[in-house]
Amino acid sequence: MSQAGYMNNYLLRSSGVLLFLTLWETAPRLAWLDPYFVPPLSVVVAEIGLLLGTGDLPIHLLVSSWRGVTGLFLALLIALPLGVILGRWLTGLADALDPLLRVLSQVNPFALLPLFLLFFGIGETAKVAVVTWVTLWPILFYTITATRTVDPLQIKSAAALGVTRSQMLCKVILPAAVPTIFIGIRIGASLTFFILIAAEMLGAGSGLGWLVHNSAMNYLIPRIYAGATFIILLGFLLNRFLLYLEKSLFAWQEYPASWTTAGEIRPYVWRPGKGAAIAGAATLSVILILGACEVRKLNQEAMAGAGGSSGHAKHFGTPVESGSGGF
Amino acid sequence: MGKNTVRKAGVILLFLALWELAPLIGLVDPVFIPRFSGVVQTILELYKTGEFVQHTRISLLRAFTGLATAVVIGLPLGLLLGGWFPRIRQATEPLMELFAVANPVILAHIIIFFLGIGESAKTFIIAWLCVWPIIFSTITGIRTADESLLKAARSLGLGRWQLFRLVVLPSAAPSLFTGLRLAAGYAFIMLIAAEMMGAGSGLGWFVLQSQENYHVLRLFAGATVITFLAVLTDVSIKLLQNRFAFWNGGPAENVLEQGRWMA
Repeated sequence: MSQAGYMNNYLLRSSGVLLFLTLWETAPRLAWLDPYFVPPLSVVVAEIGLLLGTGDLPIHLLVSSWRGVTGLFLALLIALPLGVILGRWLTGLADALDPLLRVLSQVNPFALLPLFLLFFGIGETAKVAVVTWVTLWPILFYTITATRTVDPLQIKSAAALGVTRSQMLCKVILPAAVPTIFIGIRIGASLTFFILIAAEMLGAGSGLGWLVHNSAMNYLIPRIYAGATFIILLGFLLNRFLLYLEKSLFAWQEYPASWTTAGEIRPYVWRPGKGAAIAGAATLSVILILGACEVRKLNQEAMAGAGGSSGHAKHFGTPVESGSGGF
Repeated sequence: MGKNTVRKAGVILLFLALWELAPLIGLVDPVFIPRFSGVVQTILELYKTGEFVQHTRISLLRAFTGLATAVVIGLPLGLLLGGWFPRIRQATEPLMELFAVANPVILAHIIIFFLGIGESAKTFIIAWLCVWPIIFSTITGIRTADESLLKAARSLGLGRWQLFRLVVLPSAAPSLFTGLRLAAGYAFIMLIAAEMMGAGSGLGWFVLQSQENYHVLRLFAGATVITFLAVLTDVSIKLLQNRFAFWNGGPAENVLEQGRWMA
């Protein structure tokens, strides 16, 4: 309630994380844990700084983001129209297809990865296809549910006012459905982040997952921790950011707590306007364009470096060599 | 009702028929997408040789040991944090949220330092993955128990234990099961990834091995069995839920149902 109350609550909530970080720093220093296997927090942070400084981390981050964003866009391109059609016009078909779609959505993305490798080769397409597959299902299911459960009162009123079909779709159905669809996008995006990192460990020559995998193969222990910490932090921020967007973009909707956060997210304070939308679109296009260039460059280098590479990642060479380097 | 079931089964059969016919009439390249009957035949042959039985058993054992460990740890922890120690819950929630996004495949490289590359490392990875949805769903289930029910039960003079057993636990049960389903879905996805990364047995290893040898039929056989097992697990937990917690879990269950497509 009061300022002090907020402060206290904030302290209490951050105490667990602070305690963990303190333990991480002190336990190796006091030799409770072998500092060779568990480097103290400060060493790991310094390593992250070093990786950021050399430009390695940003490049791999860019490559991973490009794969994620491209996969997400493809999934949106397929799932949104399909979801609207199944949810709004072919509801009978949607009912009939439901069990099949549920079974297909249970198909393991990692079991599909070798299949995609077989179809598309070891290039980027296989990874983007896995991401698309994973993201497709939540978006599709949420779009079907969302467009189906639009308040009939709103639709009838709009029809009585004599709107055309396209107006009905753009002005009534989509605005009503978009908050729910966004939940599907958020779930798909955070799941993608999980799966993409794992997929990059299995068969890639770049990306954040590869960075950690490569460090492990070369026994660069502080670098493993640095990469892992960075990825965890990134996943956390991505999750929080999407939850925040969900709350602030569709403020007219009421949401119960999400299971990952078990409630208690503060009400929004700022609503994104035109500027924020432009900034967001610009960031996405930068990721798409720069990422595509970077991915092509890395793949060409890999092609030139290792003539006939197997399905597995190259386990040799430090990331410093493969990245295009910085200063 | 009956007609509906027939129609639903019909669509799956139609899909299988399409899978059978498309390579046959040359719609897709039969080298890359073999016919469904061929895949089934391969599965049967593989089971006859016994090798496949071994891989299936190992994968299932890993998944269920991990899941069981997660339940044994997560359930009591969730009950304690959700019901008895709200301040500890508040203090640990952000930390648990961080841990929950910690990708087990990445942790694997660190876990190996402590547990080696044996079975315990794999069990740990699965358990780590499953424990968070279980803890969170338990906490959510308990915290969203209907306040007026609790008050009514208290005024009827129920003791602490009775209150827990007769009111809190039943109202949390549906979300518990949903959390369990989430965790089981996770367990399967990541188990296959873990087996592809560093194992000499299991279905994930089998699929990767088939791909490296360009054995497409075996690849499809492995993927089909994995899908079948995942669906079977999901359906069995759903059936258990219908049997033991058939009542509506209220808002908590809806929230968790939304999160279900995380897995």
